[in-house]
Amino acid sequence: MGHLDADCFYVSAERVRDAFLVDKPVGVLGNQGACVIAKSYEMKAAGVKTADPIWEALVKCPDGIYVKRDFRWYEVLSRLMRDLVHELSPRVEYYSIDEFFFQAEVRGGRTFQDLAEAMRDRIWERIGVPVTVGIARTRTLAKLISDAAKPHGALAVIDEDEVEQFLAVQPVTEITGVAGRRAARLAPWGIATCLDLARADRRLVRKLLTAAGETLWWELNGEPVQAIHSRRPAHKALSRGGSFGESTADPMVLYAWLVRNLERLIEELRFHDVAAGRLTVMVQYKTGHTGAGGKSLVVPSDRFDVLLETARPCLRQAWMRGVQATHMHLIAENLAPRGQCALALFDPPSQRIQAEAVARVKEQINDRHGRFTLRSAATLYLPSIYRDTANAYDICDIRGKICF
Amino acid sequence: MCVGIALAWSELPTDLIRRHNLERRVHDRGGEREVRFLYRDRQPRLPIWRDGRLQIVRWGNGRDQSRLLPPTGWTWQATVEDGYWRNLDAVLVDIPAALGFERGVWFRIRQGIRGVLVPDEHGVAVAYMICEPSSHYYQIMTRSSRMPILIEERI
Repeated sequence: MGHLDADCFYVSAERVRDAFLVDKPVGVLGNQGACVIAKSYEMKAAGVKTADPIWEALVKCPDGIYVKRDFRWYEVLSRLMRDLVHELSPRVEYYSIDEFFFQAEVRGGRTFQDLAEAMRDRIWERIGVPVTVGIARTRTLAKLISDAAKPHGALAVIDEDEVEQFLAVQPVTEITGVAGRRAARLAPWGIATCLDLARADRRLVRKLLTAAGETLWWELNGEPVQAIHSRRPAHKALSRGGSFGESTADPMVLYAWLVRNLERLIEELRFHDVAAGRLTVMVQYKTGHTGAGGKSLVVPSDRFDVLLETARPCLRQAWMRGVQATHMHLIAENLAPRGQCALALFDPPSQRIQAEAVARVKEQINDRHGRFTLRSAATLYLPSIYRDTANAYDICDIRGKICF
Repeated sequence: MCVGIALAWSELPTDLIRRHNLERRVHDRGGEREVRFLYRDRQPRLPIWRDGRLQIVRWGNGRDQSRLLPPTGWTWQATVEDGYWRNLDAVLVDIPAALGFERGVWFRIRQGIRGVLVPDEHGVAVAYMICEPSSHYYQIMTRSSRMPILIEERI
């Protein structure tokens, strides 16, 4: 199994098209300019962390250069990377925008180490993005190895003794999904390193970390349990949303965000040809509280009018009057194939046909003239969001990847 | 307001560097030297492109060197469009910049900034940076309500 991960991907992507940024401390700003979503190693050395608000990053790294995120460009490079990984591997999992798992195969006297180096070098030479590649017997091991080999490393660890030596110096918290509470649960049993976890009794690990922990146990012991998914499994839920950039307590602005996120969600439902059976609206507040409202639909739907009628009371439930809200998420669950949904008893066919026609026209116009060219008038409360074309595209709009 | 810009050292001709004593404005960022032009400098200066030539000129009138010119280093685009500068024999110029600086934030500029160049009553060339109301992103990033007009770019 192989794992390939780009090194500070968004910054590297900016450097591909702008050599001025090479070797300088660079931060990519997201959340409409409010916080650092990626930083270069130079900026990291100054103490800046991902998700730091810009005013904190400025204190830590006054010489940092800040650039606006461009997910559309990052996706272009991401898909190029995926194609290159495919050249050297028959099965590739598009895990996230800058992370891939692949089936490692070698022929003609080449070694796994050769393969790891070839993959790293090919991506660097052809795309200009530095990546790190790890190869091992399992996904978990491959990821651990590539994380340890960063930046721009290539390492294959197959031999059991070498694996053991490697695991002995890796804290257990290096494993994705083992941090905080889980690590605290393991500590009383003397499990501090990855090797401790691998050597622990399997039943104990299952007891402490449930079935997910047992999976890790098998994988750390070199038994592959997690397969590579070359196609994304069907979604169980779809969601759209994110930060407002500037917090707001204005109900009309919140409503405008609800409509914006709903329009994005409907695009996604229609792309996957599914209808939502349940809708949840979550609003996060500056105080740290989260409000949520959810409602099941009588029959699954992807119709704007129906879903808006469902979302509105959900927002009322999630709303805290006078409190500054910072984020909103809309989650569609109980997804059903669109063509197989039953019809609602009190939904006149004419209304349904009309709604479908409107949705198609909206889709066609937006396909031809740009996203959000035709949109609900309720979103007019967010003029600056729609004026800035960078907001027409968000990271979660990238299709095909497995991670969220 | 954008209170400073930076240009890579390599972008400036040696002759200009010597003539305007730009060494004292040099800083190192990531191992590369750059020249910083800050409005708060005791002699605020800006590079400009005029008639295909790169020049270093005075930035604004913040120290009241002129009674004729407004005591600032910036002007609104609307003011330029209204013809305010026309009577002062101003010309539009480009200010080359690799980086802009505002409220502690250094942000990347791909080409440069629009400016006006105007002679004061002593015949000294003075440059003003042209501004417009901030975009949503720029306002959140810098907390400033005005942003410079960037050449063929919008942040």
